[in-house]
Amino acid sequence: MTRAILLNESDNVATLIDDGSSGDDCLLQGEGTGSVKLGRDIPFGHKIAVADIDIGGEVIKYGQVIGLATEAIPAGQHAHVHNIESRRGRGDKPA
Amino acid sequence: MNFLGYERPDGQVGIRNWIGVISVMDNINPITRAVCGAVDGTIPVTTLFVRGQFGRDLEIAFDTLAGMGRNPNLAGALVIGLEEYSTGQIADRIANTGKPIETVILQRTAGSIAATAEGTEKAARLVAGASSLRRKEFPASALTLGVECGGSDTTSGLASNPAIGRAADRLVDDGGTVIISETSEFLGAEDLFAERAADDSVRRAFLDRVLGHEKASMERGLDIRGANPVPDNIKGGLSTIEEKALGAMSKAGTRPLVGVLDYGESPVRKGMHFMATPAPAVESMTAFAASGCQLIAFSTGVGNIIGNYVSPTIKVSGNPKTVGKMPVNIDHDVCSIIEDGRTITEVGDELYDYVLDVSSGTKVASEILDQRETAISRFEPSI
Repeated sequence: MTRAILLNESDNVATLIDDGSSGDDCLLQGEGTGSVKLGRDIPFGHKIAVADIDIGGEVIKYGQVIGLATEAIPAGQHAHVHNIESRRGRGDKPA
Repeated sequence: MNFLGYERPDGQVGIRNWIGVISVMDNINPITRAVCGAVDGTIPVTTLFVRGQFGRDLEIAFDTLAGMGRNPNLAGALVIGLEEYSTGQIADRIANTGKPIETVILQRTAGSIAATAEGTEKAARLVAGASSLRRKEFPASALTLGVECGGSDTTSGLASNPAIGRAADRLVDDGGTVIISETSEFLGAEDLFAERAADDSVRRAFLDRVLGHEKASMERGLDIRGANPVPDNIKGGLSTIEEKALGAMSKAGTRPLVGVLDYGESPVRKGMHFMATPAPAVESMTAFAASGCQLIAFSTGVGNIIGNYVSPTIKVSGNPKTVGKMPVNIDHDVCSIIEDGRTITEVGDELYDYVLDVSSGTKVASEILDQRETAISRFEPSI
Protein backbone atom coordinates (compact mmCIF):
# COMPACT_ATOMS: atom_id res chain seq x y z
CA MET A 1 0.00 0.00 0.00
CA THR A 2 1.20 3.51 -0.81
CA ARG A 3 -0.03 6.32 1.42
CA ALA A 4 0.45 10.07 1.62
CA ILE A 5 -0.48 12.60 4.30
CA LEU A 6 -2.25 15.83 3.50
CA LEU A 7 -1.45 18.24 6.36
CA ASN A 8 -4.05 20.92 5.65
CA GLU A 9 -7.27 20.70 3.67
CA SER A 10 -6.15 23.59 1.44
CA ASP A 11 -2.85 21.88 0.48
CA ASN A 12 -2.18 20.86 -3.13
CA VAL A 13 0.74 18.58 -2.25
CA ALA A 14 0.84 15.55 0.08
CA THR A 15 3.86 13.75 1.61
CA LEU A 16 4.44 10.05 0.94
CA ILE A 17 4.77 7.86 4.04
CA ASP A 18 5.66 4.76 1.99
CA ASP A 19 7.96 4.31 -0.98
CA GLY A 20 5.68 4.56 -4.04
CA SER A 21 5.96 3.01 -7.51
CA SER A 22 4.74 4.47 -10.78
CA GLY A 23 1.08 3.56 -11.34
CA ASP A 24 0.31 2.97 -7.63
CA ASP A 25 -3.00 4.27 -6.35
CA CYS A 26 -1.70 6.40 -3.51
CA LEU A 27 -4.17 6.67 -0.64
CA LEU A 28 -4.55 10.10 0.97
CA GLN A 29 -4.88 10.39 4.75
CA GLY A 30 -4.63 13.12 7.37
CA GLU A 31 -6.75 16.07 6.29
CA GLY A 32 -7.50 14.49 2.90
CA THR A 33 -9.31 11.44 1.50
CA GLY A 34 -9.41 9.58 -1.82
CA SER A 35 -6.43 8.58 -3.90
CA VAL A 36 -4.17 9.75 -6.72
CA LYS A 37 -2.27 7.63 -9.26
CA LEU A 38 1.51 8.07 -8.99
CA GLY A 39 3.16 9.35 -12.18
CA ARG A 40 6.56 7.80 -11.35
CA ASP A 41 8.51 6.05 -8.58
CA ILE A 42 8.61 8.41 -5.61
CA PRO A 43 10.43 7.77 -2.30
CA PHE A 44 9.15 8.04 1.30
CA GLY A 45 9.13 11.62 2.58
CA HIS A 46 8.82 13.20 -0.87
CA LYS A 47 5.79 15.10 -2.12
CA ILE A 48 3.19 14.54 -4.82
CA ALA A 49 0.72 16.98 -6.32
CA VAL A 50 -2.83 16.04 -5.32
CA ALA A 51 -4.36 18.49 -7.82
CA ASP A 52 -3.00 19.86 -11.08
CA ILE A 53 -0.68 22.82 -10.44
CA ASP A 54 -0.10 25.32 -13.26
CA ILE A 55 3.32 26.64 -14.22
CA GLY A 56 4.03 29.55 -11.84
CA GLY A 57 1.28 28.32 -9.51
CA GLU A 58 1.61 28.28 -5.74
CA VAL A 59 2.67 25.02 -4.12
CA ILE A 60 0.78 24.76 -0.82
CA LYS A 61 1.69 22.66 2.25
CA TYR A 62 0.70 23.35 5.89
CA GLY A 63 -1.91 25.66 4.29
CA GLN A 64 0.93 28.00 3.27
CA VAL A 65 2.94 28.70 0.11
CA ILE A 66 6.21 26.73 0.17
CA GLY A 67 7.26 27.78 -3.35
CA LEU A 68 6.16 28.24 -6.97
CA ALA A 69 5.88 25.57 -9.69
CA THR A 70 8.54 26.04 -12.40
CA GLU A 71 6.54 23.77 -14.73
CA ALA A 72 3.01 22.36 -14.74
CA ILE A 73 2.75 19.59 -12.09
CA PRO A 74 -0.15 17.21 -12.82
CA ALA A 75 -1.87 15.41 -9.92
CA GLY A 76 0.11 12.30 -8.92
CA GLN A 77 3.40 13.73 -10.15
CA HIS A 78 6.52 14.17 -7.99
CA ALA A 79 6.79 17.72 -6.62
CA HIS A 80 10.34 18.57 -5.57
CA VAL A 81 13.40 20.73 -6.32
CA HIS A 82 13.18 19.94 -10.07
CA ASN A 83 9.80 21.68 -10.37
CA ILE A 84 9.42 23.86 -7.25
CA GLU A 85 11.28 27.13 -6.79
CA SER A 86 11.63 28.79 -3.39
CA ARG A 87 10.54 32.36 -3.17
CA ARG A 88 13.25 32.91 -0.50
CA GLY A 89 16.50 31.12 -1.43
CA ARG A 90 17.57 27.51 -1.66
CA GLY A 91 20.61 25.46 -0.69
CA ASP A 92 21.62 24.35 -4.19
CA LYS A 93 21.06 27.77 -5.78
CA PRO A 94 22.09 31.32 -4.80
CA ALA A 95 19.64 32.94 -2.35
CA MET B 1 -10.53 22.46 30.64
CA ASN B 2 -9.08 22.26 34.17
CA PHE B 3 -6.08 20.77 35.94
CA LEU B 4 -4.93 20.33 39.54
CA GLY B 5 -2.14 22.71 40.53
CA TYR B 6 -0.49 24.54 43.41
CA GLU B 7 -1.44 28.16 44.00
CA ARG B 8 1.46 30.55 44.68
CA PRO B 9 1.33 33.82 46.66
CA ASP B 10 1.64 35.89 43.44
CA GLY B 11 -1.39 34.16 41.88
CA GLN B 12 0.62 31.94 39.53
CA VAL B 13 -0.13 28.21 39.55
CA GLY B 14 2.55 25.51 39.73
CA ILE B 15 2.24 21.99 38.35
CA ARG B 16 4.98 20.73 40.70
CA ASN B 17 5.79 21.66 44.28
CA TRP B 18 9.57 21.55 44.40
CA ILE B 19 12.06 23.60 46.36
CA GLY B 20 14.68 24.94 43.94
CA VAL B 21 18.28 24.95 45.13
CA ILE B 22 19.94 27.61 42.99
CA SER B 23 23.68 28.06 42.41
CA VAL B 24 24.54 31.72 41.95
CA MET B 25 27.67 30.76 40.00
CA ASP B 26 29.56 27.71 38.77
CA ASN B 27 31.88 27.38 41.78
CA ILE B 28 28.84 26.62 43.99
CA ASN B 29 27.46 23.70 41.94
CA PRO B 30 29.06 20.93 44.10
CA ILE B 31 27.32 22.32 47.22
CA THR B 32 23.99 22.65 45.39
CA ARG B 33 24.21 19.03 44.24
CA ALA B 34 25.15 17.84 47.73
CA VAL B 35 22.15 19.62 49.29
CA CYS B 36 19.78 18.19 46.64
CA GLY B 37 21.24 14.73 47.25
CA ALA B 38 20.42 15.08 50.94
CA VAL B 39 16.93 16.57 50.71
CA ASP B 40 14.00 14.90 48.95
CA GLY B 41 11.66 17.29 47.13
CA THR B 42 14.39 19.61 45.87
CA ILE B 43 15.72 20.20 42.35
CA PRO B 44 19.14 21.65 41.54
CA VAL B 45 19.31 24.78 39.39
CA THR B 46 22.99 24.91 38.52
CA THR B 47 24.82 27.14 36.08
CA LEU B 48 28.18 27.52 34.42
CA PHE B 49 30.06 30.85 34.48
CA VAL B 50 28.57 34.04 36.03
CA ARG B 51 32.14 34.71 37.28
CA GLY B 52 33.68 36.65 34.38
CA GLN B 53 30.35 37.84 32.99
CA PHE B 54 29.62 41.55 32.74
CA GLY B 55 27.05 43.99 31.40
CA ARG B 56 24.13 42.62 29.43
CA ASP B 57 25.56 39.08 29.51
CA LEU B 58 25.60 39.11 33.35
CA GLU B 59 22.14 40.69 33.57
CA ILE B 60 20.70 37.89 31.40
CA ALA B 61 22.45 35.27 33.56
CA PHE B 62 21.04 36.80 36.80
CA ASP B 63 17.56 37.25 35.29
CA THR B 64 17.51 33.68 33.97
CA LEU B 65 18.58 32.16 37.30
CA ALA B 66 16.07 34.31 39.19
CA GLY B 67 13.40 33.60 36.56
CA MET B 68 13.75 29.87 37.26
CA GLY B 69 13.42 30.71 40.96
CA ARG B 70 10.21 32.64 40.22
CA ASN B 71 8.74 29.76 38.19
CA PRO B 72 5.53 28.65 39.94
CA ASN B 73 6.67 25.00 39.85
CA LEU B 74 8.93 26.00 42.75
CA ALA B 75 7.22 26.44 46.12
CA GLY B 76 10.30 28.21 47.41
CA ALA B 77 14.01 28.65 46.76
CA LEU B 78 17.33 28.20 48.52
CA VAL B 79 19.90 30.48 46.87
CA ILE B 80 23.51 29.41 47.45
CA GLY B 81 26.23 31.89 46.54
CA LEU B 82 29.91 32.58 47.01
CA GLU B 83 29.54 36.11 48.36
CA GLU B 84 26.89 38.56 49.43
CA TYR B 85 26.42 40.79 46.39
CA SER B 86 25.62 38.21 43.70
CA THR B 87 23.60 36.07 46.13
CA GLY B 88 21.48 39.13 46.94
CA GLN B 89 21.04 39.87 43.23
CA ILE B 90 19.35 36.50 42.72
CA ALA B 91 17.39 36.36 45.99
CA ASP B 92 16.07 39.93 45.56
CA ARG B 93 14.84 39.20 42.03
CA ILE B 94 12.79 36.24 43.31
CA ALA B 95 11.44 38.05 46.39
CA ASN B 96 8.49 39.76 44.66
CA THR B 97 6.78 36.38 44.18
CA GLY B 98 6.18 36.26 47.94
CA LYS B 99 7.55 32.71 48.06
CA PRO B 100 9.79 31.65 50.95
CA ILE B 101 13.48 32.22 50.09
CA GLU B 102 16.57 31.28 52.09
CA THR B 103 20.22 31.97 51.30
CA VAL B 104 23.60 30.44 52.10
CA ILE B 105 26.74 32.52 51.52
CA LEU B 106 29.78 30.28 51.36
CA GLN B 107 32.32 32.93 52.42
CA ARG B 108 30.38 33.46 55.65
CA THR B 109 30.61 29.77 56.60
CA ALA B 110 33.47 27.56 57.80
CA GLY B 111 33.74 26.06 54.30
CA SER B 112 31.99 23.63 52.02
CA ILE B 113 30.97 21.11 54.70
CA ALA B 114 29.45 23.82 56.87
CA ALA B 115 27.76 25.43 53.84
CA THR B 116 26.31 22.06 52.80
CA ALA B 117 25.03 21.47 56.34
CA GLU B 118 23.46 24.94 56.53
CA GLY B 119 21.91 24.47 53.08
CA THR B 120 20.60 21.02 53.96
CA GLU B 121 18.90 22.32 57.10
CA LYS B 122 17.35 25.31 55.31
CA ALA B 123 16.20 23.20 52.33
CA ALA B 124 14.65 20.62 54.68
CA ARG B 125 12.59 23.32 56.40
CA LEU B 126 11.45 24.74 53.05
CA VAL B 127 10.39 21.27 51.86
CA ALA B 128 8.47 20.64 55.09
CA GLY B 129 6.59 23.91 54.59
CA ALA B 130 5.85 23.24 50.92
CA SER B 131 4.55 19.76 51.66
CA SER B 132 1.54 21.19 53.49
CA LEU B 133 0.25 22.73 50.24
CA ARG B 134 -2.44 20.79 48.33
CA ARG B 135 -3.37 20.70 44.66
CA LYS B 136 -6.56 22.56 43.74
CA GLU B 137 -8.52 22.82 40.52
CA PHE B 138 -7.51 25.63 38.14
CA PRO B 139 -8.48 26.50 34.56
CA ALA B 140 -6.02 25.71 31.75
CA SER B 141 -5.70 29.48 31.25
CA ALA B 142 -3.18 29.42 34.16
CA LEU B 143 -0.76 27.36 32.04
CA THR B 144 2.16 28.50 29.88
CA LEU B 145 3.46 25.79 27.51
CA GLY B 146 6.81 25.98 25.72
CA VAL B 147 7.00 24.16 22.37
CA GLU B 148 10.35 22.77 21.26
CA CYS B 149 11.86 20.23 18.87
CA GLY B 150 15.10 18.29 18.67
CA GLY B 151 16.36 15.29 16.74
CA SER B 152 13.90 16.17 13.97
CA ASP B 153 13.19 14.03 10.91
CA THR B 154 10.44 13.64 8.28
CA THR B 155 7.96 12.43 10.90
CA SER B 156 8.47 15.61 12.95
CA GLY B 157 7.02 17.80 10.21
CA LEU B 158 4.23 15.32 9.43
CA ALA B 159 3.09 14.16 12.86
CA SER B 160 4.68 15.34 16.13
CA ASN B 161 5.04 19.05 15.29
CA PRO B 162 1.49 19.43 13.88
CA ALA B 163 0.07 17.41 16.84
CA ILE B 164 1.82 19.79 19.27
CA GLY B 165 0.45 22.66 17.16
CA ARG B 166 -3.08 21.37 17.66
CA ALA B 167 -2.53 21.07 21.44
CA ALA B 168 -1.08 24.64 21.40
CA ASP B 169 -4.22 25.93 19.64
CA ARG B 170 -6.42 24.19 22.22
CA LEU B 171 -4.50 25.81 25.09
CA VAL B 172 -4.69 29.28 23.48
CA ASP B 173 -8.44 28.78 22.90
CA ASP B 174 -8.79 27.92 26.61
CA GLY B 175 -7.14 31.24 27.50
CA GLY B 176 -3.63 29.89 28.14
CA THR B 177 -0.20 30.89 26.84
CA VAL B 178 2.17 29.18 24.40
CA ILE B 179 5.78 30.13 23.58
CA ILE B 180 7.74 28.99 20.53
CA SER B 181 11.48 29.79 20.33
CA GLU B 182 14.62 29.02 18.30
CA THR B 183 15.03 32.12 16.13
CA SER B 184 17.06 30.50 13.32
CA GLU B 185 14.28 28.00 12.57
CA PHE B 186 12.04 30.80 11.28
CA LEU B 187 14.43 31.93 8.54
CA GLY B 188 12.81 31.47 5.16
CA ALA B 189 9.26 31.54 6.47
CA GLU B 190 9.54 34.62 8.70
CA ASP B 191 7.13 36.55 6.47
CA LEU B 192 4.55 33.74 6.71
CA PHE B 193 4.81 33.64 10.51
CA ALA B 194 4.77 37.47 10.67
CA GLU B 195 1.33 37.37 8.99
CA ARG B 196 0.02 35.88 12.25
CA ALA B 197 1.03 38.95 14.27
CA ALA B 198 -1.86 40.52 16.16
CA ASP B 199 -0.69 44.05 15.28
CA ASP B 200 2.04 45.92 13.46
CA SER B 201 4.32 46.42 16.48
CA VAL B 202 4.33 42.66 17.20
CA ARG B 203 5.00 41.98 13.51
CA ARG B 204 7.95 44.39 13.46
CA ALA B 205 9.36 43.07 16.76
CA PHE B 206 9.27 39.51 15.40
CA LEU B 207 10.91 40.38 12.06
CA ASP B 208 13.57 42.47 13.87
CA ARG B 209 14.59 39.42 15.95
CA VAL B 210 14.77 37.03 12.98
CA LEU B 211 16.47 39.40 10.52
CA GLY B 212 18.82 40.66 13.26
CA HIS B 213 19.79 37.06 13.95
CA GLU B 214 20.48 36.47 10.24
CA LYS B 215 22.59 39.63 10.04
CA ALA B 216 24.61 38.60 13.12
CA SER B 217 25.20 35.16 11.57
CA MET B 218 26.30 36.71 8.26
CA GLU B 219 28.81 38.88 10.16
CA ARG B 220 30.31 35.66 11.52
CA GLY B 221 30.56 34.30 7.96
CA LEU B 222 27.59 31.92 8.28
CA ASP B 223 24.93 32.02 5.56
CA ILE B 224 21.98 30.29 7.24
CA ARG B 225 19.43 31.12 4.57
CA GLY B 226 21.59 30.23 1.57
CA ALA B 227 22.53 26.89 3.13
CA ASN B 228 18.96 25.63 3.59
CA PRO B 229 17.53 23.11 3.01
CA VAL B 230 20.80 21.17 3.36
CA PRO B 231 21.50 18.31 0.87
CA ASP B 232 20.25 15.73 3.43
CA ASN B 233 16.96 17.62 3.73
CA ILE B 234 16.56 17.63 -0.07
CA LYS B 235 17.31 13.91 -0.22
CA GLY B 236 14.66 13.40 2.47
CA GLY B 237 12.09 15.26 0.38
CA LEU B 238 12.21 18.87 1.61
CA SER B 239 12.18 21.19 -1.41
CA THR B 240 12.44 24.75 -0.08
CA ILE B 241 13.53 26.72 2.99
CA GLU B 242 9.89 27.78 3.46
CA GLU B 243 8.83 24.13 3.68
CA LYS B 244 11.54 23.34 6.24
CA ALA B 245 10.70 26.36 8.40
CA LEU B 246 6.94 25.71 8.20
CA GLY B 247 7.50 22.15 9.41
CA ALA B 248 9.35 23.44 12.49
CA MET B 249 6.85 26.21 13.20
CA SER B 250 3.82 23.94 12.79
CA LYS B 251 4.29 23.12 16.49
CA ALA B 252 3.11 26.69 17.20
CA GLY B 253 -0.36 25.96 15.81
CA THR B 254 -2.33 28.63 14.00
CA ARG B 255 -3.48 31.25 16.51
CA PRO B 256 -2.42 34.95 16.36
CA LEU B 257 1.05 35.93 17.57
CA VAL B 258 0.43 38.36 20.43
CA GLY B 259 3.91 38.93 21.87
CA VAL B 260 7.66 38.80 21.21
CA LEU B 261 10.00 38.00 24.10
CA ASP B 262 13.75 38.14 24.59
CA TYR B 263 15.71 35.28 26.18
CA GLY B 264 13.97 34.16 29.40
CA GLU B 265 11.51 37.09 29.43
CA SER B 266 8.04 36.45 30.90
CA PRO B 267 4.93 37.01 28.78
CA VAL B 268 2.57 39.70 30.09
CA ARG B 269 -0.38 38.60 27.92
CA LYS B 270 -2.14 35.31 27.26
CA GLY B 271 -1.90 33.69 23.83
CA MET B 272 0.83 32.68 21.36
CA HIS B 273 4.30 34.20 21.83
CA PHE B 274 7.67 34.02 20.11
CA MET B 275 10.88 34.06 22.18
CA ALA B 276 14.23 34.87 20.56
CA THR B 277 16.62 32.09 21.67
CA PRO B 278 19.49 30.07 20.19
CA ALA B 279 18.37 26.79 18.60
CA PRO B 280 20.01 24.19 20.91
CA ALA B 281 17.27 22.64 23.04
CA VAL B 282 18.87 22.83 26.50
CA GLU B 283 19.56 26.58 26.20
CA SER B 284 16.15 27.22 24.73
CA MET B 285 14.30 25.20 27.39
CA THR B 286 16.25 26.98 30.14
CA ALA B 287 14.83 30.24 28.76
CA PHE B 288 11.31 28.72 28.80
CA ALA B 289 11.74 27.74 32.46
CA ALA B 290 12.95 31.27 33.31
CA SER B 291 9.99 32.84 31.52
CA GLY B 292 7.55 30.89 33.73
CA CYS B 293 6.56 27.99 31.44
CA GLN B 294 5.20 25.27 33.72
CA LEU B 295 5.81 22.63 31.07
CA ILE B 296 7.29 21.99 27.64
CA ALA B 297 6.08 19.86 24.72
CA PHE B 298 9.15 18.53 22.89
CA SER B 299 8.83 16.95 19.45
CA THR B 300 11.45 14.41 18.42
CA GLY B 301 11.87 12.26 15.32
CA VAL B 302 15.04 10.21 15.69
CA GLY B 303 15.07 10.63 19.49
CA ASN B 304 16.34 13.22 21.96
CA ILE B 305 15.97 12.42 25.67
CA ILE B 306 16.88 15.62 27.51
CA GLY B 307 14.40 17.44 29.74
CA ASN B 308 14.39 20.64 31.75
CA TYR B 309 14.62 20.62 35.57
CA VAL B 310 12.06 23.31 36.35
CA SER B 311 9.60 22.71 33.48
CA PRO B 312 8.62 19.04 33.02
CA THR B 313 9.29 18.16 29.38
CA ILE B 314 6.87 15.94 27.43
CA LYS B 315 8.63 13.99 24.67
CA VAL B 316 6.33 13.51 21.68
CA SER B 317 7.26 11.31 18.72
CA GLY B 318 5.47 10.18 15.57
CA ASN B 319 8.31 7.95 14.38
CA PRO B 320 7.36 4.25 14.94
CA LYS B 321 11.03 3.18 14.87
CA THR B 322 11.98 5.64 17.62
CA VAL B 323 8.95 4.81 19.78
CA GLY B 324 9.74 1.10 19.34
CA LYS B 325 13.44 1.52 20.08
CA MET B 326 13.30 3.87 23.10
CA PRO B 327 9.76 3.58 24.50
CA VAL B 328 10.85 4.58 28.01
CA ASN B 329 12.00 8.00 26.78
CA ILE B 330 8.91 8.87 24.71
CA ASP B 331 6.08 10.16 26.89
CA HIS B 332 3.46 10.53 24.19
CA ASP B 333 3.21 8.47 21.01
CA VAL B 334 1.58 10.13 17.98
CA CYS B 335 2.53 7.41 15.47
CA SER B 336 -1.14 6.73 14.73
CA ILE B 337 -1.13 9.79 12.42
CA ILE B 338 1.18 7.91 10.06
CA GLU B 339 0.41 4.28 10.98
CA ASP B 340 -3.38 4.37 11.23
CA GLY B 341 -4.30 7.45 9.21
CA ARG B 342 -5.77 9.27 12.21
CA THR B 343 -6.20 13.03 11.89
CA ILE B 344 -3.84 15.57 13.46
CA THR B 345 -6.86 17.15 15.16
CA GLU B 346 -7.86 13.89 16.86
CA VAL B 347 -4.32 12.99 17.95
CA GLY B 348 -3.50 16.59 18.95
CA ASP B 349 -6.61 16.66 21.16
CA GLU B 350 -5.37 13.53 22.97
CA LEU B 351 -1.99 15.23 23.44
CA TYR B 352 -3.77 18.23 24.97
CA ASP B 353 -5.50 15.89 27.45
CA TYR B 354 -2.06 14.49 28.31
CA VAL B 355 -0.64 18.02 28.79
CA LEU B 356 -3.38 18.58 31.40
CA ASP B 357 -2.62 15.18 33.01
CA VAL B 358 1.06 16.11 33.35
CA SER B 359 -0.04 19.47 34.75
CA SER B 360 -2.06 17.60 37.38
CA GLY B 361 0.92 15.49 38.44
CA THR B 362 1.53 12.67 35.94
CA LYS B 363 5.32 12.35 35.72
CA VAL B 364 7.32 12.41 32.48
CA ALA B 365 10.34 10.23 31.70
CA SER B 366 13.02 12.90 32.18
CA GLU B 367 11.69 13.61 35.71
CA ILE B 368 11.47 9.95 36.72
CA LEU B 369 14.91 9.13 35.30
CA ASP B 370 16.41 12.52 36.25
CA GLN B 371 17.69 13.16 32.74
CA ARG B 372 17.57 16.92 32.95
CA GLU B 373 19.97 19.79 32.33
CA THR B 374 20.24 23.58 32.59
CA ALA B 375 22.25 25.87 30.29
CA ILE B 376 21.95 29.65 30.29
CA SER B 377 22.99 31.06 26.90
CA ARG B 378 26.05 33.29 26.68
CA PHE B 379 25.75 36.49 24.68
CA GLU B 380 29.30 37.80 25.16
CA PRO B 381 32.65 36.09 25.92
CA SER B 382 34.05 35.96 29.47
CA ILE B 383 36.49 38.67 30.54
